Amino acid sequence: MAAISRPGLWSDRRRFLTVALVPTFFFLACFYVYPTVFNLETSFTDMSLFGLRKGGDWVGIENYLEILASGDFRRVLWNTVIWLTLVGVGVRILLGLVLAFLLNSPVLKRWRLQTLARVLLIVPWATPPVVAIVVWRWLLDPRVGAINAALVSAGLVDQPIAFLAERLWVWPALITIITWNTLPLVTLTFMASLQSLPEELIEAARIDGASRWQQIRYVYLPHLKPAIIVMVLMSTFWTFNNFVYVWLVTGAGPGLYTNVMATEVYIQAFINGRFGFSAATGVIMATIMTVFGLIYLRFVAERELAEEQT
Amino acid sequence: MTLARIFAAGVALALLGSAALAQTITFRFNDPEAPGMRAALDDFEKANPGIKVTMQRASWGDAQQQFLREAAVGTAPDVAQLAFVWPRSFGGAGALRPLDDLIKRPGLGVKGWDDFFARDLAVGPDSKVYGIPFTTDTFAMIWNRDLFAAAGINEFPKDFESLRAASQAIHQKTGKTGWGFPAGSCGTPTIWFVLNFYWWSKGPGLIDLQPDGKYRVAMTPAEIKDGFDYYNRYLQEGHNPKSSLSFCLWGAPEIVEGMLGGTMAMASVPDTVAIEIITKWQQRNPGKPVPFATSPHPAGPNGSRTFFGGRMLGISANAKNVEAAWKLVQFLTQPDPLFTRHYTNYTPAQRAALDSRAWTPELAGYPEQLKTARSWGAYGTGPVAIPFMWNAVGRAAGSVFIGEKTSAQAAAELHDAISRELAKNQK
Repeated sequence: MAAISRPGLWSDRRRFLTVALVPTFFFLACFYVYPTVFNLETSFTDMSLFGLRKGGDWVGIENYLEILASGDFRRVLWNTVIWLTLVGVGVRILLGLVLAFLLNSPVLKRWRLQTLARVLLIVPWATPPVVAIVVWRWLLDPRVGAINAALVSAGLVDQPIAFLAERLWVWPALITIITWNTLPLVTLTFMASLQSLPEELIEAARIDGASRWQQIRYVYLPHLKPAIIVMVLMSTFWTFNNFVYVWLVTGAGPGLYTNVMATEVYIQAFINGRFGFSAATGVIMATIMTVFGLIYLRFVAERELAEEQT
Repeated sequence: MTLARIFAAGVALALLGSAALAQTITFRFNDPEAPGMRAALDDFEKANPGIKVTMQRASWGDAQQQFLREAAVGTAPDVAQLAFVWPRSFGGAGALRPLDDLIKRPGLGVKGWDDFFARDLAVGPDSKVYGIPFTTDTFAMIWNRDLFAAAGINEFPKDFESLRAASQAIHQKTGKTGWGFPAGSCGTPTIWFVLNFYWWSKGPGLIDLQPDGKYRVAMTPAEIKDGFDYYNRYLQEGHNPKSSLSFCLWGAPEIVEGMLGGTMAMASVPDTVAIEIITKWQQRNPGKPVPFATSPHPAGPNGSRTFFGGRMLGISANAKNVEAAWKLVQFLTQPDPLFTRHYTNYTPAQRAALDSRAWTPELAGYPEQLKTARSWGAYGTGPVAIPFMWNAVGRAAGSVFIGEKTSAQAAAELHDAISRELAKNQK
């Protein structure tokens, strides 16, 4: 009896699942697949802001050749990969680790400051990026900014520093703002991982005579490794693609000194009016991100496999 | 059945009635004077009981691309305020309705179409008219007489080198900023204007129209470099502080407050910003004489050349209610009551209405500068979009100001970039 009804049930279940998935596929097709294909198609045309109604003419791979031959693009790539992503994510991960260890330390627990410290940590995270940027721009302003006022009154500098407009300062200032706003998530993730570390492991290391540094190196960091890898990859996604911070803080300037791929896409489309060229830049950007995505998926798959095996 | 018919008839009558009673049109207004414009639109609605106007707002920074995106999908506002140089490219893009049939009708401006300024900029690539010049303005120099006097200078310099010397002398003798022009980078930086004033006063502009009808890059890299060097010296010599690298707009608070606080001796601003500075100073210092005067920019062999700027009005290609939209355009081109009561800081772009604006003695530099201002000319009619040149020039100057590139390198790259764009678009 059961053998007779199973295929019917199976096909009913399959039908139900198929129907249930239709809305998801519909939205994916409308809002992900179609824009992606449209963008890809646009990247092979000379479509401009002034020719949106007419559409663009097919130019083949001309946009891609122009991008790859351009010295400006090499600088944009350097800014995006090295400054924004490598330095930005690196600083965030390192500071996140340091803060997680500090917030997890017994000293804070002994002084009953742990809750207060965690609440304070959440504040930057709860601040919307636009608000954070406005506040930081004001703090760093050379004319009315509190940081410059403090530096000048302390006699550390003679003249206020245009932090967001001078070559020496603009990238450090930008990374400071991004780090301030995004550090809490990294820190909280590491803290959560630290709290899941069995006390016996630390105790065993201590009994074996491991110093504090040896405990960190051989017990804490191996335990934190999966969380670190996930945070590095996730932060790389968020940072590499990020438009808001760079555009609202520096407008890709001074000159084009802080221009990154996301701002380049915007400048080409909406200032220079070159939609086709901008779309090609977007395709290159998405291709680079796909590589990161594959690394991430491979890591997740390996971890799941390892968990299944254990 | 009878009830249903009565209901349907009622709905139809109500719809017809409401359509007959009021037509609603949208007007996109980008200037800061929204309350004044709303009051003017209320006057328009009273005079035209069948028309309601919804005022939409957009910042000038976003207005161009927003309008074009909306026009592409048929949702642009019926009437829009446009920059002087937009109608040509917007018309070419199919975003605006041709106005040739409408401008022949009576009731446009004081003396009709022929009396408007900058009509050449309103004409599209197909020789049809796509915009009505609305207001006109230009940049002039506002300066603090007290700070100039403290440096032993009693009249405004007439040439660019004297201006730089005056700026330096003021800084050396008073410790204040001389000409604190905004040196920052953004999509629409002020440096674009002041560089063009320098280039136009000394020689040709970036783009020129040749006798054979083709456009060319009219400046050499050396001439471009000369402009970069001139303004870079202000920063290097310190009479325009490096903090000026942190802002890019002509009406930035740094400019207005710098002039108001007496920490900046001069600025190049449009009349609306000069009025803001003078009005705020009077509010903060009641009864005291205003220390500001305005003068034309310094001159070169070509004279003192600033641009003839302003706003236009256009009707979108998707406008359904063209008659109502045109009535609004006609209303907005009449000096009274718009320019006499509600929108008083602006000058109508019509010869017959130009004198209707009373300039205070402090603003005397503006009507004088308007006499020598030039049209954007080939910039507006040529194949390289002004926003492209504006951004490219600003970024190139920015890279020189921060020492990232030499002026020669930045000038050569800018020359190449504009030449490439010109060659591509002129195919």
